[in-house]
Amino acid sequence: MSLFTCPFCGSRNLEEFSFHKTLPNVAGGAFEEIYLRRDAPSHSDEHWQHRYGCRAWLRVQRNPSSGEVFAVELLTGTKP
Amino acid sequence: MQTPRPRYSAAALLRARFSRHFWKPLWNPAKPQDHYDVVIVGAGGHGLSTAYHLARDHGIKRIAIVEKNILGYGNVARNTTIVRSNYLLPENHYFYEDSLRRYEGLSRELNYNVMYSPRGVVDLANSDDEMVALARRGNAMRLAGIDAQLLDRPGLVRFAPELNPYLPRRYPIMGGLVQRRAGTVRHDAVAWGYARAAAALGVDIIERCEVLGLTTQAGVASGVETSLGHIRADRIVFAVAGHTGAIGTMLGIPLPVETHLLQAMVSEPIKPLVGSVLIYMYGHAEVYITQSDRGGLVMGGALDGMPSYTREPAWHRLEEIVQSAVALLPQIAGVKILRHWAGTNDQTMDGSPLIDRLKYDNVFLNGGWCYGGFKAIPASGAACATLVATGTAPDLIRNFRLSRFASGHMIDEKGAGPYPVRQ
Amino acid sequence: MSAKLRTGRRITGETFAFYFDGQRYCAQRGDTAASALAAAGVRAFGRSIKYRRLRGLLALGPEEPNALLTVGEPPACLPNVPAPVVRVTPGMRLYSQNRWPSLRVDAGSLLRLGAGFWGAGFYYKTFMWPSWKFYEGLIRRLAGLGAAPAESKLPQSKVLHLDADVIIAGAGAAGLRAALDAARSGQRVILCEREPVIGGELSFETASIDGVAALHWVQRASEELGHLGARIMTDTAVISARGNVVIAHKQPAGLPGADTLLRLYAPMLVNAMGAVERPIAFIDNDLPGIMLAGAAERLISDYGVCVGKRIVLFGNHDRLYRTAIRLRQGGVNVKAIIDTRALTASASRAILLAAGVECLQAYTIVRAEGGGAVRAVQIAPIKKATAVRRVDCDSVLVSGGWSPAVRAAAPSDWHSVCGAAAGELALAAIAGASDDDGEPQLEAYWRSPCATADEKNQFVDMQNDVTVADLRQALAEGFCDIEHVKRYTTLGIGTEQGATGGMLGAAIVAELSGSALAAIGTSRARGPYQPVPMGVLSGSRVGAGLRPERRTALHEEHAKAGAVLELMAGWMRPRYYQGNGADAFAAGIVEAARVRKQGGICDGSTLGKLEIAGADAPAFLDRLYLNSASAIETGRARYAALLREDGIVLDDGLLLRQAADRFTATTSSSHGAHVLSHLEFYRDTEWRGRRIAISDVTECWSVLIVAGPASRTALTAVLGRAWNEPLLNLRHMAFVERTWSAAAGVGAKLRLLRASFSGELAYELHCHPDIACPLWQALVAAGLAPFGLEALDILRVEKGYLTGAELNGLTTPMDAGLGAMLKAGADGLTRNSVGRALLGREGYLAADRPILVGLRAADGKSQFLGGAQVTTTTTATQSLGYITSSVFSPALQEWIGLALIARNCSAAGNELIARDPLRGGNTRVRIVPPAHLDPEGQRIKA
Repeated sequence: MSLFTCPFCGSRNLEEFSFHKTLPNVAGGAFEEIYLRRDAPSHSDEHWQHRYGCRAWLRVQRNPSSGEVFAVELLTGTKP
Repeated sequence: MQTPRPRYSAAALLRARFSRHFWKPLWNPAKPQDHYDVVIVGAGGHGLSTAYHLARDHGIKRIAIVEKNILGYGNVARNTTIVRSNYLLPENHYFYEDSLRRYEGLSRELNYNVMYSPRGVVDLANSDDEMVALARRGNAMRLAGIDAQLLDRPGLVRFAPELNPYLPRRYPIMGGLVQRRAGTVRHDAVAWGYARAAAALGVDIIERCEVLGLTTQAGVASGVETSLGHIRADRIVFAVAGHTGAIGTMLGIPLPVETHLLQAMVSEPIKPLVGSVLIYMYGHAEVYITQSDRGGLVMGGALDGMPSYTREPAWHRLEEIVQSAVALLPQIAGVKILRHWAGTNDQTMDGSPLIDRLKYDNVFLNGGWCYGGFKAIPASGAACATLVATGTAPDLIRNFRLSRFASGHMIDEKGAGPYPVRQ
Repeated sequence: MSAKLRTGRRITGETFAFYFDGQRYCAQRGDTAASALAAAGVRAFGRSIKYRRLRGLLALGPEEPNALLTVGEPPACLPNVPAPVVRVTPGMRLYSQNRWPSLRVDAGSLLRLGAGFWGAGFYYKTFMWPSWKFYEGLIRRLAGLGAAPAESKLPQSKVLHLDADVIIAGAGAAGLRAALDAARSGQRVILCEREPVIGGELSFETASIDGVAALHWVQRASEELGHLGARIMTDTAVISARGNVVIAHKQPAGLPGADTLLRLYAPMLVNAMGAVERPIAFIDNDLPGIMLAGAAERLISDYGVCVGKRIVLFGNHDRLYRTAIRLRQGGVNVKAIIDTRALTASASRAILLAAGVECLQAYTIVRAEGGGAVRAVQIAPIKKATAVRRVDCDSVLVSGGWSPAVRAAAPSDWHSVCGAAAGELALAAIAGASDDDGEPQLEAYWRSPCATADEKNQFVDMQNDVTVADLRQALAEGFCDIEHVKRYTTLGIGTEQGATGGMLGAAIVAELSGSALAAIGTSRARGPYQPVPMGVLSGSRVGAGLRPERRTALHEEHAKAGAVLELMAGWMRPRYYQGNGADAFAAGIVEAARVRKQGGICDGSTLGKLEIAGADAPAFLDRLYLNSASAIETGRARYAALLREDGIVLDDGLLLRQAADRFTATTSSSHGAHVLSHLEFYRDTEWRGRRIAISDVTECWSVLIVAGPASRTALTAVLGRAWNEPLLNLRHMAFVERTWSAAAGVGAKLRLLRASFSGELAYELHCHPDIACPLWQALVAAGLAPFGLEALDILRVEKGYLTGAELNGLTTPMDAGLGAMLKAGADGLTRNSVGRALLGREGYLAADRPILVGLRAADGKSQFLGGAQVTTTTTATQSLGYITSSVFSPALQEWIGLALIARNCSAAGNELIARDPLRGGNTRVRIVPPAHLDPEGQRIKA
């Protein structure tokens, strides 16, 4: 995996994007949200930012064992 | 039964020349028994070291290590071989100092040459402010009785002549913090040496046996389900650094862990150039360089930057790390990179390890090693064995408990917060 | 030297001299070091790493394990350059490696005497007494291949990004065929070939393709591809391929110097990189003069070099016979062909038999003989290895089959493999050739039988001196998995990553352990596919290109004023001005004292500036910042801090309210990018759909910090009458924005903010960068002397203000003395800003939590330094905290500092020890409030 498809900018080099964190996918309060992760080998739900591009925050779903990208979506949900 | 092993020495090497079947396997492949006192999951550095100490220090007889791949093929085979205890926070520097002291005597303890090379590890500073930060860390080490020395520019060039001040550099180097007892250890030898010693103490090392699940009975763990069948166990230790997140998934509990790639690379072998371990940070870029005894420049840097279990290093990070290496040592621009590879780090929310009970009273986790796994192996095994055998964590690892995040007792060496990619 | 000039496909006839180990040789343009030296009869190119055995050419590409040379002389030499790759240039100086004092006479060869002792992994079993360190120095000097360069004279290499529909790696028969197919169907093709010429093995192929001779077909294909717009890149090796991005390395002349690193983007990659010929292991199979058959063929066809006069061919397939015919056509005496197979039906064989060439079937070579080079081979029937016969020869050409050139790149949905790389060896199938021999009818054969004692001379991996004996020993010691074998014996970890020896080693491991080769597998190959110089990977990111130097609009002013610049958060900032003192310490004191006495001016442009606008901006900032933004009146500013989610202070700065729905937030120079991302995250998540716009305006505004009692007077003189009113009436933390015109007539927006980071009456002038210089010049002319970071640090430590030294990533607002911000607002409500939720954790409230304090020497004069640890006694090992900053205060005439000290030990007046064993020793210090000077803030309000 060397390219990401940004909903705004299209297929761009991976190094334009910066990963922030994976999501815990558990119900809970601030502590769970901030400190816990669902770090499964088969599926990862992540926050990224297209930092050296349009700067949109993205939700990326990937398979961290194969590098396959399932989805890249805007965190705002839709294009404005 | 274990076959008797020849003791290693120069004399043994001579004798072996005249005896055909002199050498014996370091460990014999074992088939799983029905029941063990302790089953350790993962035959990496930490699993092997824990097994060795359980058998040697606590006299536990029936120990098995189950490994889904082959022994010593995870991070213990993929690191840059650096051992050091130059940490800022007491929770870290006392622990890593214990480990370094054990490394100093490990070759003779195991009768296996792990090639501990106290060549010195030096952190370099680009500015006076960074010198102050290094002084803070060095003073903290000295308070704890750990060797540290602050070198000014001339002292640094005397210590590491390859940092020739007349070569063109983007950033000036103001000085550095050196720990002279720190250095390198031959990584594979650590795995093999512990495996040989553990096997000699009767530990069953079961390779190509994948753990598929945990079985429980009356609220405690009763064994592990594996690809070779069920194995009953009184106590279970997960020492699967790099796959700790997968254990959380298996047990259905989210852990304070993200799995990231950390890559390393090696150049073609050249005659001695870098005599120590150089650690260089500027801005957010980082590189560490040492030279193996074979002559290859071994380098590493920051995480690849996204969760991954693939062990496939990212190309752009290779370029960035090499850029930093050439910025530090411009003379190596013509030296060629031979290979790069990656290990999977279980990065925790404060960059420090996790050694604690996990979900059940008789299940233990030894993981979350972040960047520090290799250098921790001897201390981790000894302390984890004490926890497993006695049920009480020794002081050295008491702060590595899982609950520290909820209670606000993080051990955040870098001050990066719960964002593993920045740790 | 032969009087007759060699002719070959790659050489031009133009001759010149070069030097190998100091001796003069002749080469033609286009020659590689391997071809030119082989033409001159050189057999030995170097010595092996462990046993120091003389070694010659084995292969004729980057997979060459033996003939590695050093190009040039120290300090700027290039080590480990494969002789078959580097193209010779006039006067070039080449050196053999791993020998001392000379290639012929080498002291290290004595190591061979203990060959049995130095078996696989011997170093794990000895050198433990007295310590490894005792032996390491000598071992390190013996190891390593080429010399370490002491400098580099390489020019900066280029980086090129290209995109295409198909990238084809390898321009041999398969690659050319694939390229033609793709280009004809209208696809944009990039064809990469690592050699300087295309065609691969068609160089010496006698079959014809599409009705024309092979080489003619190559020529036609090249022309057609040119017409179709395909891009053919020679000297370009594909070195990595992942996820639709291919990395290729173009290196003209086979030597670093004019390299380009290519990033090729395409939805499709075709790997046509061919295959690497394998040797067969027999006793002393590493003698110079023993080489791979394909290498010898290429030496003849491309360089006109004949490797010997009496040649023995040895292998396990039909190709041997075709090779023999071509060699004979080149006038070479083929003495014998040793075929390990019992039955062959090759038509070529019949021709050779008819011509009287000895063709032995079911025979093998058991041993090579010779000193500096092979002189004879001992051959025997496979079934009766003791019936040895001797055949004199000066060259042995071996071919044990082919392994795919690149094992690392597994086929995937975007990546296909064709030709020899996919195991297809028949040219008819690859490119539609006619009158070809067809399939080579290969029968696996890996090594000849030998006594166990002789296995230490059957070489598997030549570069690392791995022998069959080593593999046997590894197995005996329980290293059975191929990855364990690799690590224990060093099989396949050389510069060629086991290209020639890896598969052979795996096969012998299979044989010795009684397993199937498929079950053993080969060890995992690692990228890059070929070694690549670090300077090439650096590309343009060297020197100033490594990180762009950020300069403020006032950079030239600082230079004129003699500023000593320092890098801070990527910016070049004045640390001090040279006229004010001999060094930073002296000048800083002078500059700081002057600010307090009169006034000064400082460049603050590097502060981060974020503009947050929109109807929801006030509520948004209330959520992000600890203190309330919505309570700020328009035209006013407020000191504010924001937290990370875990409750730690992320950054502090000022919040300026320009309008009901418009704010500017300043950040520290080093945290601007982080704060921006942090705000954008909340904009896109929690606040999605709300009316908030965030812009980074850091570089849109220059900032001039004007401080000191004289600042108002100077500003009044410079800004003009229109600014008199605000200068008189502006309260602390209030600002106005107007247009200001310089004398020269340049007018732009200027924001005058009354705020102080020095504790003096002070203003920040935020202005358009275009007017920064005239404004600065005018203020300096009005009597304000520039001051730098050193003075700024003194001024702020005197006041106990925070910087990154205190906000170190571990500090909570309570630790940093910002607890007041957490209190309930005027409305009596405690606000729910980011990070507050986790502030109540036990560890954050602990009694020994380090909090911000001021520090003085107990004796009022001793020095103490930032970075010292603080303890209760001179011998205590438990640190209570550390000194974050220390300065010599010109106002107080003593050393003062700030520190983070355990709360339960930080009562004012408490005496502790500053421990600084690294730089001096112990200093007795006394805790004081952080604000050392004017705690009531009288001067600010002046």
